[in-house]
Amino acid sequence: MSHPKSKHVVDARYLEPPEPFVRTMELLDTLAPGERMLLLLFREPHPLYRVLQKNGYSHETELVADGTFEILIWR
Amino acid sequence: MQALLSFDKAPPFAAPLRFFLTAPLFALAAGLLLAVAGPSLLASRWVPGLLGATHLITVGFMMQVMLGALIQILPVVAGANLASPLATARWLHAGLSAGAVLLACAFLFVVPSLFTAAAATLGVTVAGFLVATGRALRGVPSTSPTIRGLKLALVGLAGAVGLGVLLTAALAGGWALPLLALTDLHAAWALGAWAGVLLVAMAYVVVPMFQLTPGYPARTSWRFPWLILGLVLAWSVAVAIGLDPLVRLAQGLTALAGIAFAALTLRLQAQRRRARTDATQRFWQIGLASVILALAMVSTAATWPAVAEEPAWPLVAGALLLVGGFMSFIVGMLYKIVPFLAWLHLRNCGDGRMPVPNMNRILGDAAMQRQCLAHLLAVILLPAAAIRPDWLARPAGAALALASGWLFGNLLLATLRYRRYHGEIMRGQAAT
Repeated sequence: MSHPKSKHVVDARYLEPPEPFVRTMELLDTLAPGERMLLLLFREPHPLYRVLQKNGYSHETELVADGTFEILIWR
Repeated sequence: MQALLSFDKAPPFAAPLRFFLTAPLFALAAGLLLAVAGPSLLASRWVPGLLGATHLITVGFMMQVMLGALIQILPVVAGANLASPLATARWLHAGLSAGAVLLACAFLFVVPSLFTAAAATLGVTVAGFLVATGRALRGVPSTSPTIRGLKLALVGLAGAVGLGVLLTAALAGGWALPLLALTDLHAAWALGAWAGVLLVAMAYVVVPMFQLTPGYPARTSWRFPWLILGLVLAWSVAVAIGLDPLVRLAQGLTALAGIAFAALTLRLQAQRRRARTDATQRFWQIGLASVILALAMVSTAATWPAVAEEPAWPLVAGALLLVGGFMSFIVGMLYKIVPFLAWLHLRNCGDGRMPVPNMNRILGDAAMQRQCLAHLLAVILLPAAAIRPDWLARPAGAALALASGWLFGNLLLATLRYRRYHGEIMRGQAAT
């Protein structure tokens, strides 16, 4: 799946915990330096934010009209 | 990767678990009270024993789970951490449990000093909780409708408990206050601005997450908590200035707003991606149907006050709202939260190196579905008992006691299994 914000997308909107977290971590492991990934969820993943911060990642979150949180992640 | 998977900052399991295990015992007590006292308890909404039973459910069950769950979920949904979650859980649990017992006894035995003791205990405990959560949320921006809803719900909690303390002081001291109007207002703050707004804020997260539905539309999500709080504030102003038509308008609009939210949630559930209806989904369906019925009765009473003078009217609406609505939502969420937390803590204690049992092995869906049937029986019998107390008061009380005792049994079983698996993992780690 691709998205205007990134070609690396985890659409976790219909996945149960901890799948969104696991898939995000797996995709982050495969990113080349400078690449960004996008996580789509119907909630803000605060535990993930803490893990990202601890590991030197940055993120930017936008809540769009249909209730999707678009979380762009990069290092 | 495995190190990354560790969810840090999760409070110890013992912090929320004590609330979840104690709460069903208060609902069990409410059921037993009705089963023992029988039809006289349902003569009108002002019978002291019924007010005692009601507060066993609202303070003993609902508030117990809601505050206990907040300790757990503040870091998850808001990124806010209590300074010392286990210590907070200890005094909060003790204060809430003692306060609920004192308040129920004050109503049952109509003793002024017990009202004072209950008001002081609950007032101080909730004030302490508000200070602790206020500190945790200080500097946390409202980046999602859930965080905004959570903050507004805490304002609602302050209003609900503040009015409760005022009412108990008035009862204990014989103050000349408009007790009937203030009681309705207390219920509006407690069930609308506090429990209602908190439920809405949590629904934004848990309905899509647990039931695999689409998300709530962003614009509605941002506005809804403000709408409920605004309506309850308007209701308060109307009571303060003694403007009855405005009281009824605010009451009717608050009820209609609740119906609209329940209808939106039903629409989202109709689009869910999960084919099988699990116990949580079942509890939410019961809850949403009950809330719609109860709030339709509240808005009807606001439009035609004469119908509310029928003694059974507020009792049916109250039973539907509290046991059919809030209890159903709460039990449905407990059945997701407790197995998930058990799994999470087992996985963390095993450092990801030891095999961890599936959540189903901690609490299976079949056990939850069977308890759900007992709960549904109570949800049907309690409003029916308000209409025919002579036939149904005792069976309805027994049904609530059965459903609550069963809930306790299921949660206790999950706890015991967690401890057994925890022991196995620790032994396995020591052996490697």
